[in-house]
Amino acid sequence: MRKDYWNKPEMGLWERLYIFEVIRGLCITGSVFLGNMWKWLTFRKGALTAYYPEELRSDYSPNNRGRHVLTQRDNGQVQCVSCNMCATVCPAYAIEILSTANFADPCHPKAPERFEIDYSRCIFCGFCVEACPEDAIRMVKEVPDFPGFDRDRMWAGMDLLMNWRPMRDPAKHYPTPQAPLREVPE
Amino acid sequence: MIELKIDNKMVAANEGETVLQAALRHGIEIPHFCYHPCLSIAGNCRICLVKVGGRPKLMPSCNLAVAPNMEIETDTEEVAEARRAVMRFITLNHPGECGICDKAGECRLQDYHVRYGEPEPISIEPKSRKPKFYDLSPRILLDNERCILCGCCVRFTQEVSGSHQLGIVERGSHARVERLETGAFDDPYSDNVIGLCPVGALLSRDFLYRSRVWYLEPVRSVCTGCSRCCSVNVWRRNRHWHLRALGEELNRTAYRVTPFENPEINGPWICNKGYDLHRFMARQRVLQPMIAGRGASVEEALAEARRLLSESINPAALVSAHASNEELAAFQAALGPRLAVYSREDYRPAPGEAVEDGLLIRGVKNPNSYGVQALFGHRPYGVINGHDLLLVWGDNAEDTSFDGARVIRLASFGTQQEFTADVLIPVSTTFERSGSFSNFEGKVNRFDKVFDKPELVQHAGELFGRLA
Repeated sequence: MRKDYWNKPEMGLWERLYIFEVIRGLCITGSVFLGNMWKWLTFRKGALTAYYPEELRSDYSPNNRGRHVLTQRDNGQVQCVSCNMCATVCPAYAIEILSTANFADPCHPKAPERFEIDYSRCIFCGFCVEACPEDAIRMVKEVPDFPGFDRDRMWAGMDLLMNWRPMRDPAKHYPTPQAPLREVPE
Repeated sequence: MIELKIDNKMVAANEGETVLQAALRHGIEIPHFCYHPCLSIAGNCRICLVKVGGRPKLMPSCNLAVAPNMEIETDTEEVAEARRAVMRFITLNHPGECGICDKAGECRLQDYHVRYGEPEPISIEPKSRKPKFYDLSPRILLDNERCILCGCCVRFTQEVSGSHQLGIVERGSHARVERLETGAFDDPYSDNVIGLCPVGALLSRDFLYRSRVWYLEPVRSVCTGCSRCCSVNVWRRNRHWHLRALGEELNRTAYRVTPFENPEINGPWICNKGYDLHRFMARQRVLQPMIAGRGASVEEALAEARRLLSESINPAALVSAHASNEELAAFQAALGPRLAVYSREDYRPAPGEAVEDGLLIRGVKNPNSYGVQALFGHRPYGVINGHDLLLVWGDNAEDTSFDGARVIRLASFGTQQEFTADVLIPVSTTFERSGSFSNFEGKVNRFDKVFDKPELVQHAGELFGRLA
């Protein structure tokens, strides 16, 4: 017999009788429920759903991609040079950067004035971390304060991303800034 | 007509052409830095070396005149090795800071480095240091470390703009572009060197770090600065990269203006006023229709204007020289027979502005004065004519005396307070509509819509039918 649709179930007599299948389903659900309750009564792990976000899991993998961190230089400035590679590679278009020119620091004439990540759009793919040429953006395993009631309020700005978990790159040494060569060299 | 063979393909070249020009015209790509079709041939970058049949050494194709039966090869291993070596030399002291360079994305050095260069330099010497972010003029920054000394900017000031204000001073790794005379680089065409520079050495201070270029897209438009009507590209944000957190208004902002190459009118150049067109369009706008100083809806303002027109005995219209040909035709069809028509100049030369020169800049500072003249003739308005109603179309009419006549104003720019008209209806700017202008030679140049108009602003071409 040709099926009306591709996954139409083929039911035998037992399924057609209906009530016995319903009882079988209730047995499955009830056994899981009773098993979980037994674990809860005997104080064992793995019984309950965590009440996110009040309760957080403590056993994220160290490879988990959670909230972003903007790293800082030794003087506390943001390491980002505002090259927009992360914003360009982002498949969700979640990153927006406003750049500013600062010629007082000749090693870093370009810096972000605002750095915004939209966590209502971010898909946590980690491309931004891979694209960054300066190791200025990282992802750590924790995922604090993600839920929200309003899409427009799920933006994380530069202050938050730099300071919620300050990180530095001790392996990265910058040349001490020299005075810009403005005059004609002798 | 000379027949020669480039990469085993027969190519027809004109007498006196160079091999590079013939190849580019036939879609064969030969890399080049110092060659520009409008400038003299310098032949100093050496990236365009090609193999010529029968000659032992490679020849620079930009400086090689075509000859009959020449056999040119551009993709042999020998040529590729020469290009690698030239790229190695050019990038020897190039800082490689594409990440923070405004030119990245439209930089020929970047493109050629990906295509012809080597990923890692073999030099172990430290890169030479030169003045960075040097103020060449209030409009232009010069980064000498990025400069590859092709000399395009120098040749531009010598051959095109004729100001002779730039030159290359010192030698070797100290060589750098510098103003020759003490004083500013105040050429009225100075911003062209930014687009001319094949690398990011000459930077626009106005566009500096405002956006990466691949977030933007060009829209063809026309400069309204003078009656030359140069074709320009207005760069707006690509819709894929529309901003949300940083401000929606940036999506409706023109980021920069660059020349659109139009050989019939402006060639590849525009003047600095054209480069500032987006600032001209970003001035304070009139956004609210008004009746005698009070805000009103568009329908109320139109009804009041219709009432004034029907009550008037001797009405007249002052036609804007910023109106497109299409709007003028709509005006002519709807209101032309009923009104006495005068032409007016919206903008006059600002103090200190270059009024007219032999290259591009024209003395009439409005784009469509000639379109108005072709339709209505040259008739400036005088107060003696005794009109009791004036339809004043265009900006900057506030200092004109209308001698007690009632006034209907159609304007784009200004603050609401400075208008004393009986009826004020805001109209769209050049960026907000498409159309065409006739320049001083009668050549018609069209422009496309860059942004949507604000809600209460009207297109002038659609208003006149509703006023009649």
